[in-house]
Amino acid sequence: MEVDSDVPMRDAVDEPLDPTLDEDARAFPAVSEGETSGIADHKSNKPLELTKGSIGQLDKWIEHLGKCQILSEEDVSSLCKMAVDVLQFEENVQPVSVPVTICGDVHGQFHDLIELFKIGGPCPDTNYLFMGDYVDRGYYSVETVSYLVAMKVRYPKRITILRGNHESRQITQVYGFYDECLRKYGSANVWKMFTDLFDYFPITALVDNKIFCLHGGLSPMIETVDQVRELNRIQEVPHEGPMCDLLWSDPDDRGGWGISPRGAGFTFGQDISEQFNHTNDLSLIARAHQLVMEGYAWSHQQSVVTIFSAPNYCYRCGNQAAIMEVDENHNRQFLQYEPSMRPGEPTVSRKTPDYFL
Amino acid sequence: MDNKNALGRGIDTIQITKAREIHMQTVRSRMPQAVPVPTTQTDSMGPGNTTTNVAPQVGGCHIHRHRANNPNNPPCAHCGAVIIPAPKARFPAEDEPSITIGDWTISTRKKTILNSVEMEQWEEKLRGLALPEMIFGNSFVRVENKAHGFVMEFNALEALKAVKLEDSGIRVSYAHKWISSKKRNREKSADLQDTSLEIGHHYDWTYTTSYKGHFEGPSLKRDDQERIPIDKLSRPDPILFYDDMILFEDELADNGIGVLNVKVRVMNERLLVLSRFFLRVDGVLFRVYDTRLFVEFDENKLIREYKEHEDTYQNVLANKALKHVRDPKAMLRDSNWVASQLPLRKRECEVLQL
Repeated sequence: MEVDSDVPMRDAVDEPLDPTLDEDARAFPAVSEGETSGIADHKSNKPLELTKGSIGQLDKWIEHLGKCQILSEEDVSSLCKMAVDVLQFEENVQPVSVPVTICGDVHGQFHDLIELFKIGGPCPDTNYLFMGDYVDRGYYSVETVSYLVAMKVRYPKRITILRGNHESRQITQVYGFYDECLRKYGSANVWKMFTDLFDYFPITALVDNKIFCLHGGLSPMIETVDQVRELNRIQEVPHEGPMCDLLWSDPDDRGGWGISPRGAGFTFGQDISEQFNHTNDLSLIARAHQLVMEGYAWSHQQSVVTIFSAPNYCYRCGNQAAIMEVDENHNRQFLQYEPSMRPGEPTVSRKTPDYFL
Repeated sequence: MDNKNALGRGIDTIQITKAREIHMQTVRSRMPQAVPVPTTQTDSMGPGNTTTNVAPQVGGCHIHRHRANNPNNPPCAHCGAVIIPAPKARFPAEDEPSITIGDWTISTRKKTILNSVEMEQWEEKLRGLALPEMIFGNSFVRVENKAHGFVMEFNALEALKAVKLEDSGIRVSYAHKWISSKKRNREKSADLQDTSLEIGHHYDWTYTTSYKGHFEGPSLKRDDQERIPIDKLSRPDPILFYDDMILFEDELADNGIGVLNVKVRVMNERLLVLSRFFLRVDGVLFRVYDTRLFVEFDENKLIREYKEHEDTYQNVLANKALKHVRDPKAMLRDSNWVASQLPLRKRECEVLQL
């Protein structure tokens, strides 16, 4: 969904387009291949250990980002390097224990993310699991993803951030994150750092061996959770194959596997979900990816739940957002919430009448 | 946090305070604002020239003959314009402004997207169609002449009824690659033998609609010679009533956008409604289907013009104008600019003289 152009972006500055980018070449403009941000050039062979100094640095960044202010390009680079050394050691199926609060799409709605932490309780006191789509569409993708990554590095055991289909080089060039990075930093460097980092995000999580969490849904190539463990996830989201399906597919009312009339993308029916849950001894598949008015929606007789955590999506849908709390005893509770209030910003804006013809 | 514990025990005080605050902001935002400085004036009615901002003539002494029908939308003391805030957040989302000039009444309503209960009802009403993600199903634009029993309305339900329940023939840019790789996998693996690779359910997933608004009362007569008088619409007559809303929208699973938008502006002597379906399938094609409804109040004359524009994505992308812009993709999101680039494929015009 395109955002409302009437709402001014706070950090809008006119910066020239990077002339090295040949944007007309394809529908998805290609950034010269092989050129990386360098954030993964000096990977460590063991997980990052925080020092007093790095904790102080991270706390400073988190405080800064918490005010919806972007980090400098150098700081983003340092942050992403640290994050690589946390995320590269996570699994394709990242184990998560209860209690945990499971969240869906955020899409750059930074103030609503802060609201989410108010409703769900602050991190690290509450454990969080985010199921992807941090960037694109909202006005604050940079702040949102920087904040979540900083939290991840600071509290690696307390917060899990999965990859969504928008955490990809191609999609972010069409739906806003790339443009936002250009506008806020004057170059695509920060975009390159983050999209290089996205390759390391885990693609699924397993809550206490019972709730399988992922962004999109199931794949006909994946029958067991163990098969997900065998995938090589450290790459750009492919256009097809099991990794693509896990980030893109949708549940459907019709049974079996379906193919979208768009000509790409699977849908899966209740029989598929039930079989998958049975085979893997799961109680639930939790996923995000689709807008739902109430913030959450059950499907397939409660074998699948969709969670969407961007209230008033794109600043005009009027939908509620939700998060799902799972406690020590696997009781589930949904918390719904409304868009956050921003002092000084009217929640309604009068469109200037224009003499359209 | 106390917040979450309070849930389920009735309304939280935080929510009440918040609601009050939002209400105050709503009220404040209704205060008449400064009008933009006059800019250029359009002289042609190419589909692209649709956003010329011309300021209403403020300061002159007008005798207003129109009446605002909803006390929530008071007319501006200076220019008489009815003030319509565009709802953004959830609490004050509903608004239903209305204005009457002579026998003509123009009303609009804006609400949030349909909730899940409503979605289920609509699935029944629109059987066979997988519904678009965002349906502003309780919103509408209505133009009515009570004296002659004529009503024309633009809403999402009727617009979606015009979406075809058959294969559109359109596929996303990477569809061929996707399907062939699935077929190769199926040949390789016995487990996948029973996975069907046929599309199970055909409907026009682009939600292309030839909807022109629907009406009750005397019928319109086809007359393709008729033209909407652009000269009259290009005059900077004060706009007394203005609204702009989306009826439905779908992101095509991140393959572009399909959106139906309706705008209305009412001046002292006439009105114009523009209902536009805009489609962008990334890497594949663009469509702009426009319906314009023009009413000259004192003549009781109504003209409805329908135009279909379409071209391939590559043709639009090849446009020279895109070579030197900072952000070409922003242009491809702008339906006005895209419309100005697309060739006209079809035009129909109808007239009604009451």
